[in-house]
Amino acid sequence: MKVALIGNQNSGKTTLFNLLTGHNQKIGNWPGVTIERKEGRIRSTDFDIIDLPGIYSLSPYTIEEEISRKYLFEDNVDLILNIIDSTNLERSLYLTTQLLELDIPVIVALNMSDIALQRGIDIDYKYLEEKLDTTMIPISALKKTGVFDLIQVIKSQAYRKNNYTHIYDHELEDCLKKIESEIKHDHERYIAVKLIENDPDFEEFHQNGSKKIVETLCMTYNRDMEQIIADERYRYIENIRDESIKSSKQNMTVTDKLDRIFLNRFLAIPIFILIMFSVYYLAAGPVGSATVNFVIKYMDIFSLWMSQRLDVWGASAWSKSLVVDGIFAGVGAILSFLPQLAILFLLISFLETTGYMSRIAFFLDKVFQKVGLSGKSLIPFIIGSGCSIPAIMSARTIHDETEKKMTILLTPFVPCSAKLPIIVLFAGYFFGDYSGLVSVSLYFFAVIVIILSALIMKTILFKGKTTSFILELPNYKLPNYRYIFKDVFDKVFAFVKQAGSIIVIASIAVWFLLNFSFRLEYGIESSASMLAGIGKLFSWIFYPFLGTFSWEATVSAIQGLVAKEQIVASMAIIAGNSEQVNDGIFIFNSAAFSFFTPASAYAFMVFNLFSAPCFGAIGAMRRELGTTKRMWKAVFFQTGIAWLMATLVYQFLHIFEVVL
Amino acid sequence: MARRKIYKKHDLATLADLTHGQKAKVVKLNTIDKALRRRLLDMGITEGVQIKIKRIAPLGDPYDIELRGYELCLRKKDLSLIDVEVIS
Repeated sequence: MKVALIGNQNSGKTTLFNLLTGHNQKIGNWPGVTIERKEGRIRSTDFDIIDLPGIYSLSPYTIEEEISRKYLFEDNVDLILNIIDSTNLERSLYLTTQLLELDIPVIVALNMSDIALQRGIDIDYKYLEEKLDTTMIPISALKKTGVFDLIQVIKSQAYRKNNYTHIYDHELEDCLKKIESEIKHDHERYIAVKLIENDPDFEEFHQNGSKKIVETLCMTYNRDMEQIIADERYRYIENIRDESIKSSKQNMTVTDKLDRIFLNRFLAIPIFILIMFSVYYLAAGPVGSATVNFVIKYMDIFSLWMSQRLDVWGASAWSKSLVVDGIFAGVGAILSFLPQLAILFLLISFLETTGYMSRIAFFLDKVFQKVGLSGKSLIPFIIGSGCSIPAIMSARTIHDETEKKMTILLTPFVPCSAKLPIIVLFAGYFFGDYSGLVSVSLYFFAVIVIILSALIMKTILFKGKTTSFILELPNYKLPNYRYIFKDVFDKVFAFVKQAGSIIVIASIAVWFLLNFSFRLEYGIESSASMLAGIGKLFSWIFYPFLGTFSWEATVSAIQGLVAKEQIVASMAIIAGNSEQVNDGIFIFNSAAFSFFTPASAYAFMVFNLFSAPCFGAIGAMRRELGTTKRMWKAVFFQTGIAWLMATLVYQFLHIFEVVL
Repeated sequence: MARRKIYKKHDLATLADLTHGQKAKVVKLNTIDKALRRRLLDMGITEGVQIKIKRIAPLGDPYDIELRGYELCLRKKDLSLIDVEVIS
């Protein structure tokens, strides 16, 4: 038995899916797109249930609708479970009228039935059942009422087999009948409607007779047939609505009252800034940093204990180094921001489920529209100032594919907290009294780079695509904590699995290259290592903005791929200090780095701020963009922009240095 | 800043011309882009439906409109493609 769960966005689909399946879910992606695909087994049954994307219609225009259409049409679904929002019956039933045209039985679960009652919306379920000839079950996924009944009905298979209802006017119904009789395929009524709508995906089902009928129809109505069908559906729903709903006069809902504050002309922005500041404070600021330091402290203790153990066991020097400097350094990098990540996901999940996130997108859309992004892009940017990894993952909430990809690509341009040591080191040594000003200027630089890159992408990569902003403002809801914690756990786990493997493998690779020569000798000077060889090979890339060939600077920048704070550590090591004292005077007076001038220092900062992010963030990009190819494109785009900016900055500033 | 024209009952206008709190009946969709047109239809913006401008974002765009018992946000440029007859 295959059950397809389908419904509008914000209808409570995910909550119901989790209730029905408990913990046995398989989460993956639909083939070829980055849209999540969830499958599971309904409790106490052997029925498989699949969670289709949240959609409003089965039109041929969006990826989500495409996926759902294909699945229902081709995958031999035995039952459709259509979840609808009782407080929004009219718009929700529109999708239902489309589902009923398929040759698949439909059960309608009327979610939020308790809230509807509170609002004085009295729904006559029996009348609805009769009219639509399909089983209706009132539930509340949040309060878990009615879900047991729902499972029982599915199990007993005692639901109506909806033998089709008349919903169109006579003329359309007659034509549909004629066309249906010609179609030799299941779902003939559904196909017939699609043929009248001139749906491009169903051309192949046209027969000579049906073509003629549709042409005559178009002549009679002399209007867009898609519109006729939509009008008819809604007219039918309006009639049912008038008969089945007794609604007492609506007074102001809680949502309206809250929106008078949150969406107030003068208060909206200050409140938003306050909320975002709290999120930042808890996740990326002092509180989040404290968790990071806490983990690092214990990781260090553990890694010290491990290295002592290895000494006791008499492990060789290189294997000890592999464990401590390679694997532990890599794993430590991931673990250190796990608590920060969890806090962030928790807050984001909270903002999302309450309905506030949609409102942010609503009132900031105008600003982001100008560069081809959406109001929702701001959230990843803010989080990105703490860490790019959760920031990139939070871009998932952006529905439009183009806007999502652009946001993912731009997020690493926001200087994350790991890049601060670079700024501190260089600005502190070269710009002394002005170091604060220089640090601020780099943030402004980041904003400019983001705007420019967005405009470049808008005009070159995604040219001619204007997206429309259609967003439903959901009612404010109290969050369901069990659901939020589950959501956070899933995301953290997914992150560890994905980014974790990449970081560990990459860390081991960099460790290997740094500690071995090409003749595979261990325990050499860093200048004789393979990484130094690679550095010499690539130092020409850095020449345009360093003014010299420096393998040392090149190698340090490459190590930034493991973690950005590694750049400073690597420079300290190369300068001849294994104690990693990140002291500007010591580093920049050493033979290796004495070539730096204020111009090349600023340029080097710019390059490291905007080039490819660390492996963790690259892993997150890989995951959210969906393909390795797109990931590489993003990495090259970022590095290209960084190189260009650094070179421009250096050449410009260098003129002053020469003149002065 | 030119004063905005205030549309009154029975005036013909587009949804983008209306101001906060006004109600109107949809007369026609002038969308050329098929995908957008279908999207608007699917969301219930069909001929004859009553729409109320519930809220305008603090920066003047997008609009939050109310129809068929729910709320929807649309950008001004899309609203200007929807012809309406003003009710109040």
